[in-house]
Amino acid sequence: MNSYLKDNVLEVKGVSKKYIDEKIIENIDIVLKKEEFVTILGPSGSGKSTLFNIISGLINPEEGQIFINGENVTGQTGFVSYMHQKDLLLPWRDVVGNGAIPLEIKGFSKKESRDRVEKMLHIFELQEHGHKFPMQLSGGMRQRVSLLRTYMFSSEIMLLDEPFGGLDAITKFKMQQYLRDVIRKIKGSVLFITHDIEEAIFLSDRIYVINGNPAKVVEEISVDLNRPRNEEIIASDEFRRLKSRILKLL
Amino acid sequence: MKKYQNIKDKMLLIGFNLIILAIWEIAVDSGWIERFILPSPSDVIISLWVNSSEIFKHTKVTLFEGLVGLVFAIAFSFLMAILMDQVKWIKKIMYPMLVISQTVPIIIIAPLVAMWFGFGIAPKVFVVVLVCFFPITISLIDGLQSVDFELINLLKSMGATKMEIFLKVKFPFTLPGFFSGLKIAATYSIMGAVIGEWLGGKSGLGVYMLRARHSFSLDKVFASIVVIILLSISIFYLISILQKIIMPWAKFKEEK
Ligand SMILES: Nc1ncnc2c1ncn2[C@@H]1O[C@H](COP(=O)(O)OP(=O)(O)OP(=O)(O)O)[C@@H](O)[C@H]1O
Ligand SMILES: [Mg+2]
Repeated sequence: MNSYLKDNVLEVKGVSKKYIDEKIIENIDIVLKKEEFVTILGPSGSGKSTLFNIISGLINPEEGQIFINGENVTGQTGFVSYMHQKDLLLPWRDVVGNGAIPLEIKGFSKKESRDRVEKMLHIFELQEHGHKFPMQLSGGMRQRVSLLRTYMFSSEIMLLDEPFGGLDAITKFKMQQYLRDVIRKIKGSVLFITHDIEEAIFLSDRIYVINGNPAKVVEEISVDLNRPRNEEIIASDEFRRLKSRILKLL
Repeated sequence: MKKYQNIKDKMLLIGFNLIILAIWEIAVDSGWIERFILPSPSDVIISLWVNSSEIFKHTKVTLFEGLVGLVFAIAFSFLMAILMDQVKWIKKIMYPMLVISQTVPIIIIAPLVAMWFGFGIAPKVFVVVLVCFFPITISLIDGLQSVDFELINLLKSMGATKMEIFLKVKFPFTLPGFFSGLKIAATYSIMGAVIGEWLGGKSGLGVYMLRARHSFSLDKVFASIVVIILLSISIFYLISILQKIIMPWAKFKEEK
């Protein structure tokens, strides 16, 4: 195995899925390298969440396999962390308690789990909110907690399914910068879903555009914008060039 | 502001009841309504006072039956709800059965219960369970089934077992519904025990009421009713307090 292949923490190979008689996605190939931020961009209903459910092992594909660090894990759960558009926080647990769930499931004691989460709060800019309940937090704050929980399960491969889809434009913009900073700090490998083109370009190293019926990968785009990126790149030529290229594909 | 509104509401409630009681009292005292048809509120209070030791003795029995029945009903409801939640075909069979069981008049069932269980405490507890388990079971099963499936999927994707999903998500999620059901059941529990006692037995408020009625001591019947109301309300409030202790996070809902 050459070093290029070893770098792939996640490989999706020829995955197809149909519901009843309708083929939703067909022959999808995707790779994610270590510490890479890769986005799957596609129209609503194109099967992005379905693909994530397959990668996380919740559902089985008709064809194709999922490899994690070279190992075939098709249909097996517990290898990747998964964040949804809905924050899915437990209202009866405070911020630390919510972050501790994945650790408890892994078998750590309640106390040990909480201790570990407490130590990570500052990275997620939640240090002042550790003992608040979800009901006391704003939408953006809740998504931070959800990201923290996702991270506590695993930072090796994080699937983020439209995490900012339910937020208002201003909060969304802040959360994109927040995510950029947090991912850099935790050195996570991220597979991200969105149908927001600017969000995809701003955050990603690479973008897979999926489209069609059934959905296929229509193009793989490298985003060669320097990091760290700030808000100004949105006005750059390269950014606009990428944006119009993607628009043509959809 | 909210507190003020609260006090205002309470004053209104108390005032309204006082007016009704006053009209009632005057109506009886003036001879407009005969005492043997309807005792006045003061008659009832005096009767409560005069017969307090006897009433207290019977109350203890009824309260015991009601609470034991309620505890059995809770245990039975949990068992049923968990079974119905975990095994699809059990739910398909049992859910309609539970609804049907509630359409059979309890007054008709009750004498049979006495035939089966004799005249001890068992038939009373049985009647209590019969009237109490339904609201608890239904609220539990509806709660268990309405848990966001994405939330369950999220825990599954973390590799959680069925048991973990139940304990960490499903069970806490059903608590608000469970308490609503429990409050309804609790208000039925004392009544259930009293109905059970009407079928026969030596003690309890139901027995006391029957005896009082046979001797035309309507003041005693009304005194028993007052005690039954007070008991039911007390259990209701006790459960509300318990709910606040067990679900401290619920209070944040109101603030938002
Ligand atoms: N369990 C299911 N049974 C049948 N059809 C399903 C099921 N889940 C999803 N679908 C269908 O598959 C298609 C893709 O759904 P999916 O949720 O993956 O799309 P998506 O790209 O994530 O959309 P969105 O951007 O709106 O979240 C949709 O047409 C949806 O109706
Ligand atoms: Mg989706």
